[in-house]
Amino acid sequence: MATPTEDAHRPPHDVARSAAVLATLGAALALGLYGLWQLTHERIERNRQAWIEQPLTALLAPMKYDNDVLADVITVVSPDVLGADAPASIYRARLAGEPVAAVIRTIAPDGYRGPIELLIAVDYEGVLLGVDVLRHNETPGLGDVFENREAGWLEAFRGLSLSTPPAGRWTVRKEGGAFDAFTGATITPRAIVKAVRRALEYYRAYRDRIFEADAAGEP
Amino acid sequence: MSEFPLRSDALLLLAMCPALAVSDTVVNAVGLGLTALVFGPLTAVTFGALRSRLTPQTSIAGLLLLSSGAVASVELLMRAYSPILYTNIWPFVALFSVNFALLDALMAERSTAKSTRAVLRLCAILALALLLLGIARELVGRGSILHGAGAAFGDWAQALETKVFAVDMGFLLGMLPPGAFIALALLIAALNWLKRAHSAST
Repeated sequence: MATPTEDAHRPPHDVARSAAVLATLGAALALGLYGLWQLTHERIERNRQAWIEQPLTALLAPMKYDNDVLADVITVVSPDVLGADAPASIYRARLAGEPVAAVIRTIAPDGYRGPIELLIAVDYEGVLLGVDVLRHNETPGLGDVFENREAGWLEAFRGLSLSTPPAGRWTVRKEGGAFDAFTGATITPRAIVKAVRRALEYYRAYRDRIFEADAAGEP
Repeated sequence: MSEFPLRSDALLLLAMCPALAVSDTVVNAVGLGLTALVFGPLTAVTFGALRSRLTPQTSIAGLLLLSSGAVASVELLMRAYSPILYTNIWPFVALFSVNFALLDALMAERSTAKSTRAVLRLCAILALALLLLGIARELVGRGSILHGAGAAFGDWAQALETKVFAVDMGFLLGMLPPGAFIALALLIAALNWLKRAHSAST
């Protein structure tokens, strides 16, 4: 180049020094992050486990079982019965090797603001032990009232099965069903009820295969 | 880098965007405010120390490296010590840090001490605004203050949770996104009113 630019005047060692500083910074950050990861990764893993373990053990509390439920899990994909393309996990509880209950972790795909992640626990006979919501994006104050204002709403599932109430009434009252909707929000409860019904149907159809499958395998 | 297209007040407004999203409860607002207060000045100081050793052309690379390192650290710490806060506000923390990178680049002309002070001041203003918005929105939307503090900050914070008045449904507008804009507008109006009252009296 004929016209001298500012860069041309800069001594070449400036560039070399910049590169060295950047490399050192990168190395220092990598080292620091590695150290931080060492410090935190066990806690993070514990948190991740506890996130599912707490509601899981709470749902299974009335049952007697002696296996490691968290590890005794299979993954199933059943868009036609469960109604969601995403894979669902099924945790199995056993006592002395005999199946006693299953907890199905699935989603209600048709929530008002995206999918609602659910834990649905059933005993061996297909009677609901309980339902818990793991994660949701429902409108604060309207769709999420099962969290506080109508905290008992999810409790009502306990003891129900595909025969009580009969299949036709597995929806919200507005549609002739047996379940209360929330003031100002029908879509959320309807989505949850539907997902629970589907999980029960799946369980009824595949119960034996659910319990026979090897952990982490597909029935 | 000498000519940066944004002025600092425009930047503050940009930074308010994630702030509006997370100020629905006091806990979320405080979480983001604290993160800003700790990591804003920290990256500003580190960047200030590095800047003199880098050419202007490479300093932006250094800045990006530094910000991504800071963001990754916050992510690890949050996931380890407050998974609930992590689920609630994480995307906005990452968004926020981009604003800090911009801010540091903007301050590149000033001395390290000066730019650190400026960043600290901006972070303090932001944290305060977040706190005010959070209190206002949670109070209106839920009738409580610091709801969920125990779950987010640890058991010691449980005692801080206060139910100010019992509401059946709350005034939902407070919690929903439009409430954020209304609350921010009211905050700015209050500031302007204070300013005018002040200038009238002197």
